[in-house]
Amino acid sequence: MNKYLLFRGWASYVLPSLLYFLVLFCVPNSFAQSVPVSGTVYDAQGALPGVNVSVKNTTTATFTDGNGAFQITATPEDTLVFSSVGYVTFTTKVGLQKTLKIIMQPDETTLEEVLVNAGYYKVKDKERTGSIAKITAKDIENQPVTNVLGTMQGRMAGVNITQTTGVPGGGFEIQIRGLNSLRKDGNRPLYIIDGVPYSSEPTGFGVTSTIMPSYTSPLNNINPSDVESIEVLKDADATAIYGSRGANGVVLVTTKKGKKGKTQFKAHFSLGAAKVGKFMKMMNTSQYLAMRKEAFANDGYTEFPADAYDVNGTWDPSRYTNWQKELLGGTAQTTNAGVSVSGGSDNTQFLISSNHSKETTVFPGDFAYVKNNLRVSLNNQSKDQRFRLSFTAGYTAQNNNQPSTDLSTEAWKIAPNAPALYDSQGNLNWENNTFENPLRNLNGKSISATQDLVANTTISYQLLPQLELKSNLGYTDLKHSESSTFPSTIYNPAYGVGSDQSSIFFSTSARQSWIVEPQINWQIANGDFKTALLLGSTFQQQKNHLNATAGYGYTNDSMIYNPAAANDLSIMGFEESVYKYQSYFTRLNVSHKERYILNLTARRDGSSRFGDGKRFAWFGAVGAAWIFSQEKLLDESKILSFGKLRGSYGTTGNDQIGNYQFLNTYTPANAFYQGIIGLQPTRLYNASFGWETNKKLEVALETGFLKDRIFLTSAWYRNRSSDQLVGIPLPGTTGFPSVQSNLPATVENRGIELTLHTRNIETARFTWNTTVNFSKAKNELRSFPNLENSTYSNQYVIGQPLNIVKVYHYTGIDPATGIYTFEDVNGDGTITAPEDQTYTKDLNPSFFGGISNQLKYKNWQLDLHFQFVKQQNYDTPKMLATPGTFSNLEVGAMQQWQQEGDRGSTQAYTSGVNGAAVNAFYNYIASDAVITDASFIRLKNVALGYDFPEKWSKQVKCRATIEAQNLLTFTSFKGPDPEFQSVGYLPPLRVITAGLQFNF
Amino acid sequence: MKTNLPIIYKQNKGMKQLGVLLMVLLLLTAVYSCDDFTAINMPISELNQSDVFEQKNTAEAAMTDIYAKIRDNGMLTGKTTGISKEMGLYADELTFWRANTEASAFFYTNTLQPANTRLPEWWNAAYSAIYSANAVAEGVKASTKLLQADSNQLAGEALFVRALMHFYLLQLYGPIPYITTTNYQVNTKVSRKTEKEVYLKIIEDLSQAEELLSQEYPTQGRVRPNVYAVKALLARVYLYNGNWAEAAEKAAAVLNNTSLYSWEEDLDLVFLKESSTAIWQLIPGTGTQNTDEAFTFIFTAGPPPSISLSKELMHSFETGDVRKEKWTKAITDGSSTWYHAYKYKKPGTSTPSSEYAVVLRLAEMYLIRAEARAQQSELINAKEDLNKIRTRAGLPPTTAQTKNEILTAILKERRVEFFTEYGSRFMDLKRNAQLDAQLQNVKPAWNTTDQLLPVPQSELQLNPNLAPQNPGY
Repeated sequence: MNKYLLFRGWASYVLPSLLYFLVLFCVPNSFAQSVPVSGTVYDAQGALPGVNVSVKNTTTATFTDGNGAFQITATPEDTLVFSSVGYVTFTTKVGLQKTLKIIMQPDETTLEEVLVNAGYYKVKDKERTGSIAKITAKDIENQPVTNVLGTMQGRMAGVNITQTTGVPGGGFEIQIRGLNSLRKDGNRPLYIIDGVPYSSEPTGFGVTSTIMPSYTSPLNNINPSDVESIEVLKDADATAIYGSRGANGVVLVTTKKGKKGKTQFKAHFSLGAAKVGKFMKMMNTSQYLAMRKEAFANDGYTEFPADAYDVNGTWDPSRYTNWQKELLGGTAQTTNAGVSVSGGSDNTQFLISSNHSKETTVFPGDFAYVKNNLRVSLNNQSKDQRFRLSFTAGYTAQNNNQPSTDLSTEAWKIAPNAPALYDSQGNLNWENNTFENPLRNLNGKSISATQDLVANTTISYQLLPQLELKSNLGYTDLKHSESSTFPSTIYNPAYGVGSDQSSIFFSTSARQSWIVEPQINWQIANGDFKTALLLGSTFQQQKNHLNATAGYGYTNDSMIYNPAAANDLSIMGFEESVYKYQSYFTRLNVSHKERYILNLTARRDGSSRFGDGKRFAWFGAVGAAWIFSQEKLLDESKILSFGKLRGSYGTTGNDQIGNYQFLNTYTPANAFYQGIIGLQPTRLYNASFGWETNKKLEVALETGFLKDRIFLTSAWYRNRSSDQLVGIPLPGTTGFPSVQSNLPATVENRGIELTLHTRNIETARFTWNTTVNFSKAKNELRSFPNLENSTYSNQYVIGQPLNIVKVYHYTGIDPATGIYTFEDVNGDGTITAPEDQTYTKDLNPSFFGGISNQLKYKNWQLDLHFQFVKQQNYDTPKMLATPGTFSNLEVGAMQQWQQEGDRGSTQAYTSGVNGAAVNAFYNYIASDAVITDASFIRLKNVALGYDFPEKWSKQVKCRATIEAQNLLTFTSFKGPDPEFQSVGYLPPLRVITAGLQFNF
Repeated sequence: MKTNLPIIYKQNKGMKQLGVLLMVLLLLTAVYSCDDFTAINMPISELNQSDVFEQKNTAEAAMTDIYAKIRDNGMLTGKTTGISKEMGLYADELTFWRANTEASAFFYTNTLQPANTRLPEWWNAAYSAIYSANAVAEGVKASTKLLQADSNQLAGEALFVRALMHFYLLQLYGPIPYITTTNYQVNTKVSRKTEKEVYLKIIEDLSQAEELLSQEYPTQGRVRPNVYAVKALLARVYLYNGNWAEAAEKAAAVLNNTSLYSWEEDLDLVFLKESSTAIWQLIPGTGTQNTDEAFTFIFTAGPPPSISLSKELMHSFETGDVRKEKWTKAITDGSSTWYHAYKYKKPGTSTPSSEYAVVLRLAEMYLIRAEARAQQSELINAKEDLNKIRTRAGLPPTTAQTKNEILTAILKERRVEFFTEYGSRFMDLKRNAQLDAQLQNVKPAWNTTDQLLPVPQSELQLNPNLAPQNPGY
């Protein structure tokens, strides 16, 4: 019945209105006799600029100026509506009043008027039908991190973020509601910065950026303090309007805009220190040498071999160095400083901000990551408010200078009695060729420079009261250059390598994209019905350019950066690609009595990444919400202040597959033969792949109690993706690692997400707010026809998650031989993969979330944010090396088997020649024995702020802060960091900063 | 027009015109046809597969790139990741001096794991070369514009490469799939052929290549194969397969072409690019580079930073063997002495390049014929071939008399002639069933099953038809 009404309502308004649009210049509008009304709006602090003043049921509207004053025309029968974000909307009948003095009350039930950015449109939080998580500047500003993804960790239900390296400028992995794609890089969300899609494809070239375990995060280019809000769109209702690119969720970054009023200057400055939070507990020299001696004894050696330098007397047996401390124990310094100026008149507002940050590393040596950025935002409205223009542009320059190799692995493995790093002359010590000095790696450098411009202009024109024309124009320009050097000095001089064998790999890449998105917005309110229709289209083009070069041989290493000085230069890679994308989209939103809301979105997308006949696809979603707290029965309820049930279902897709995959081509190779550059087959040819689909279903309940002092959102979702676009892994016998294809498998992600926000204490002097989010997710391979005959047969199991690992089952140490044993599943007498690797372990977090508390007392503010994750991970300490070989180990390896009957936890030591033991060790690290609980609770962020009392200075507001990131971790995990999955790389650092902010 | 707008809109006619303009723009873009917009041109960095084989120069570039890849990656590269070093460590040619955490250490200790990174590296590089070779063979066959002579040359080279790669895979991994198409749907599910079957396929490919290739090298130098390169490889394959008469015949065919290949008495000239005993070489990437082998084996101070020639190898040189003096070099720190291979002497650059990596050379033809003759009991001729090698090394004629003595002498000669060349020692011991006897005493963890390397674990996981894993892993 309701639906019928809604649709009939829709039809009866849309059609006449379209007609209205067509005959726009002919049909007159009549208005009652109007009189000018003026006044001033205040809040408790004084005059309030920027308040929207409108005449109810008309389109007449204006804003208060910098002094809180407004002027509007209305009839005495009209009602004036005053609204501003964060304040309770105030209404008053005009009557005979000519000048008004309005005092706005801060909105305690913030939800009512908070607008949420849903990309192409904004929606009141109260009325949204989709699942959108949001964090705002106040959460972001407290955190001493340089990447905004870092600020989101543990703060959004359903959004799992892990940092991939502690090296500054490194990347983050983000998963929104789990792994949808079998392709590792097919799980990246769509990033939109101020309306401009920002490509998350990696820049650069493998060998030219050796320090990072994964691609650098595209969001490095944003300065966290410029961000006003980050919204993450999760369900079909919210993401379907991004159609083919919404499958993995959408991250919308909105930067700060200028506000009208007197010009404000803000400045902030902070200094900090970062260190590795935890070292593994490694053996000391006597423990280590005892292990080595026992290993050689076990192997039947009567004297130590010549190359066993650690134990045969070549190296000083009494020497001890804590290599983790030596190589990773430095303190990285962080500096962050910025200024911004903002202000504006009624019609034009501006904001200009600039920021500088610098972060050094914990490695020995002079390395740093520097980021400078400038951001400008301009808004202009015509006097009649019909024409609006908004412009934002951000320019970021990043320079990252790092060693070409992460020292973490060496720091664990070097023998504790290894010799000094430098000789008496201060040169690298090679200890007569017996020591591979780890600092050799620092002679090679990994340097990158990125310049990045993101600009956006939105022009809109209110053609009719109900009809707005709008166009979004965006442009991005990214230039990235990087190099990795391998000078002859990284080799032991005994190799006889001279600078004529030094090499450098450098690459420059550029990416330009533009986007044009013309849109028509049509809104009408009639009686109990409100209808909004959006029609739009997208044209996007992106050009990528890459040029990677290798230089070999120099007369002197100091000229390694000068390509002209190289004996040989060769182009290793060149790419020039174009990506074009077009779509039409629409959204229809109908609400009845602000109680029943229906939201329909549809999109038709075309992408140049598909071959002829496969290029276009439809996507769409239905979302609905019922605000049941507005029903008569509950309207007056003292306990339940807000209640909404919402649900959505729809489809989205994914085209993150790279360009030209459907072509059958040859590419110039990077090597010469007889002076001729070779041609190589580019890929295996398969032109028949098409769009994948991702079907999302969600049901959620939002409830507010006691005037929303307790607000709980509970959501259940289920996403199913099928026909996934993957590079299907192929055996080497095909000549290629994979072929692009649609996989006939269905992957399901389902889970529940809870977000609880409470305002525990609210007094004039003291307030205490808490936000808790909790996500429990399950990933499952639902179906995979013919799995057993596919190349995935040994990787996936139907009914199990995608990122399971198949492992041997460890059955303890053989009491007789002292060697690890495993279950021989097929009973053939030997332990072999894949036949005996049949146990599965799930590395997905089983649940995760965060708890944030904000306490304010007078001028003090304290924010505490805890992050928690329940998961399993690889037990790094057990995996370093075969126990007894020339490699230090964690102290746990000292519970070794020594003689028959022993039941240690580590197998008998071997110097490396006991084949059975070495074999058993490698089976061990591929067994369930090394997958351990890696759950943790982490005090992710602490921020203490103090506002200096105003009486100290009337003009300048001053705030002092102390902030800490990754301060404490509670875990039973023995490795360097439980969060962290890139074994062998520097874990995320513990950062503490102190800062000052001025505002005048 | 003047009164039909709401009051507050009354001003700003200019603005309204702007709005109309915006609308027109909007409509214009909306009618832009989808297909036109998302259709894209061929990328400038790529060339259509079918176009590659319509021109001689691009078709040749597709072929020579395979040689470049063989030179730079996989089993036959002279880099530290190639079999010259790794299989030298695996057998008894080299001693390893590095902390045993890298892939090479497991070759040295004979404790290879199926997950060792080197195994898929070799396997994948070889099959990638085979794919490219098959693509060339298929491409030139479908070509409409290539001259027949060019087409034959390229097809012959493709078959040569295909056979060569399968030959080395066979030596290391035992039974392997033999890939003759670019069709990935076929190649995904292939299963392993017996060693005998693989040998027959190799012989078939080489015999076909023999008919396609001409006597002359197609380009300057000896860096692309001619028919004699094919015969040389065929001689080796016949020898390994026990076809003595054919082995002797193919070796003789190469040896008899004295206008192209003349015996070189000076050991210092064997590995130079102009060497008259070279049958097939790999040219370095640029005109100033020399071989990767030189960089891999040479060191300048002791103890050796990575690898040195083993004591066993050094002891196997007879007194007075000039090869010990010319092809190895002693490094001493005053108290101890170590040796490195010194066949290639230029680790850096020179203008122009002076050394090319020699894959097939004349000395092997003499020793193949010697062995094949001995096996057919042509003992005097066998000794004559063997002595050719010994004489150049400054050694007296062999004292071996019986067939077995001669065969033993040839094996011994091969050890000191071909050390650190493409795992020759390992393969000689293996085909003579002497691995256990020779290696058990010098390699503590040696097992009989180590005669085959494990098939890469990733490969078994992706293609169950390749099961079972080789014994012992």
